[in-house]
Amino acid sequence: MTAPRGLKPANGSERSSELDALRKLLIGPEQTRIEELSDELRSKDLSAEHIADVLPEAIALSGSSGDQLGRALAPTIDTALRESIRRDPREVASAIFPVLGPAIRKAIAEAMSGLVRSINSAVEQSLSIKGLKWRFEAWRSGVPYPQVVLKHALVYRVEQVFLIHAETGLLLEHVSARDLVVQEAELVSSMLSAIQDFVRDSFMPGEGATLRTFSVGEHTVQVEAGPRALLAVVIKGQAPDGVLTKQQDTLETVHLEFASQLADFNGDSAPFLPARPLLEDCLETVLTTDQSAEKRRGAWLKWAIPLLLVILVIAGFLIRSSMRWNRGLAALRAEPGIVVVDASRSLGGWSISGLRDPLARDPRAVLGSADVGNPSLDGDWEGYLSLDPEMIRARTTRSIDSLSRDLERDRILFATASADLDPAAIARLSSAAATVRRLDDLAATVGGTVRIGLTGRTDISGADGTNAALAEKRVNAVSDALAAMGIERSRLILHPAAREKPLIAQDSTERARINRSVSFNVARPGASSSPGGER
Amino acid sequence: MIQKKICMVGLFGVGKTCLVQQFVHSIFAARYLSTVGVKIDRKDVKSGDQDIRLILWDLEGRDGVRDVNGSYVRGAHGIIYVVDGTRRETVDQIFDIRDNVLREVGDVPSVIALNKIDLVDEWKLRADEEEDLGSKGVHLIRTSAKTGQGVEEAFQWLADAAIIHGGKPA
Repeated sequence: MTAPRGLKPANGSERSSELDALRKLLIGPEQTRIEELSDELRSKDLSAEHIADVLPEAIALSGSSGDQLGRALAPTIDTALRESIRRDPREVASAIFPVLGPAIRKAIAEAMSGLVRSINSAVEQSLSIKGLKWRFEAWRSGVPYPQVVLKHALVYRVEQVFLIHAETGLLLEHVSARDLVVQEAELVSSMLSAIQDFVRDSFMPGEGATLRTFSVGEHTVQVEAGPRALLAVVIKGQAPDGVLTKQQDTLETVHLEFASQLADFNGDSAPFLPARPLLEDCLETVLTTDQSAEKRRGAWLKWAIPLLLVILVIAGFLIRSSMRWNRGLAALRAEPGIVVVDASRSLGGWSISGLRDPLARDPRAVLGSADVGNPSLDGDWEGYLSLDPEMIRARTTRSIDSLSRDLERDRILFATASADLDPAAIARLSSAAATVRRLDDLAATVGGTVRIGLTGRTDISGADGTNAALAEKRVNAVSDALAAMGIERSRLILHPAAREKPLIAQDSTERARINRSVSFNVARPGASSSPGGER
Repeated sequence: MIQKKICMVGLFGVGKTCLVQQFVHSIFAARYLSTVGVKIDRKDVKSGDQDIRLILWDLEGRDGVRDVNGSYVRGAHGIIYVVDGTRRETVDQIFDIRDNVLREVGDVPSVIALNKIDLVDEWKLRADEEEDLGSKGVHLIRTSAKTGQGVEEAFQWLADAAIIHGGKPA
């Protein structure tokens, strides 16, 4: 503030002090306040404190009124993040690992669906001895080859699961399949992480790359590395993709649920006891597909089926052979006139001995009609007379035949133009009557009767009418005589043939002599031929 | 059961493997077998009432060209620096190695095992040099893997210190 113009300089200082006093009176408190405020504004510390006080509120206000603040801060945050990653990428990786892992894997899994591995292993298997064996199996069983490969590829077992602290290599938790003898899990754990270090240092594979899988004999060790822990599984056999997915899931869950325990780990593994069920889940999921026992059962079955077939075929042959033998023996035993005394059977053929009625059928013929195949047959057959009705009947029939032939060969002769029976004729008729009576007896045993045809003939001399009458007379004479000897007329069939169907002889005189006769014809019981004058 | 990772470091041939063998299995083999990479062994000890399982990482010896492998010592709860009293260079270089280890794991409990004290005839260190070794913030214990002298003591001291140090390593 300056003094107004027109005031005298001589007493300028006096005036100035007066004005000051006046100023103090008028605006003293305000002046002090202004000085305090300017001090406050100059002090940097004080202003930072104030801003810290109001900043959260300011950001909240700015956020509610629009996204200007976000836009303004974005470049700064980008820079900060970049700087943070540059300084220690593990911190950021650790923070976003539980989120990032599943998202990436899900996308990849959907795209690939484990196809590549299946194809790889299929190609690999198709070129190995095992592959050829599988091809043979596929051909033998009729199952498509890919299915056979799948069946075998699925044989595996997750035997052990190690949860390992990434930084120290110390064992956090360990589970193993039942019945598995496991020693020194702590050493295995440390060694696994040492191997990781060794491989990383030896090959310098780049940031974040780790040894993920290695195989020893039929065991495969899969190691999944997270920022704070590793999960290693020991698999026997060939594991499908599911194991790896499960392993990754488990590792992420562990990171999520045990984040603070992992960060604060100081050698005490007790806080990780609750992780045991998670790890055991890895075991259980895949133990169900342990198929080694089934494989052995399959191998046994493979041979059982052909063996069973062979046994069935042999048994079939034996049964058929036995049935034929029984059938053959039964047929022989049932055959009239055959008595089986001894029967045995060997690979060479059948040997059957016994008694055989001369009228009985040949045993070979009996077997031939019994459908027993064509066995070679030997054995001795002794003759005997069977009392079997069949045999008796056969024998009777033969006797009837024989007597009939005797009778039919006989004839009653007459003198020229005569129908008188001379003494020789009477004797013959008597003999014939006896024969007829015997025939009757025989016929009665087989349930029938015989009828006798009488054919009367003449020589060729004389008129036809005369000859016909003569023939009738001769037939009647014989019939009368037979009736007189007790043969019923009703059983006699008269046939005066005269000159028809003459008997044949070379000499004409002899021919005339034998045709002056009556001859016999026997109609046998059951025989269909009608009595007629063949002779 | 609390586990602690203990690393054996030092130049080649100072007796790291032999100290572990003596401690864990109570045996000593005079034949020298160079360790490649790392060997891991374990031994259960007690600190007060607390059971402790020491997981011993026996690292391959530094050969003067390569540094101690940082990956192996990462996360260690205790370090045993092994020096050989009959070879002066093993003593001279031990603090270089220590700097290297400190960068990796921070100030964790550490012991210097001044080994091979049974070989008095070949001893190269003066008494004041030994004193000097023990005055640099690291506990000094004289050991002999051959006779077993000081071996139990060294590991036990480290186990106790690791329990007291506790908390988060590094």
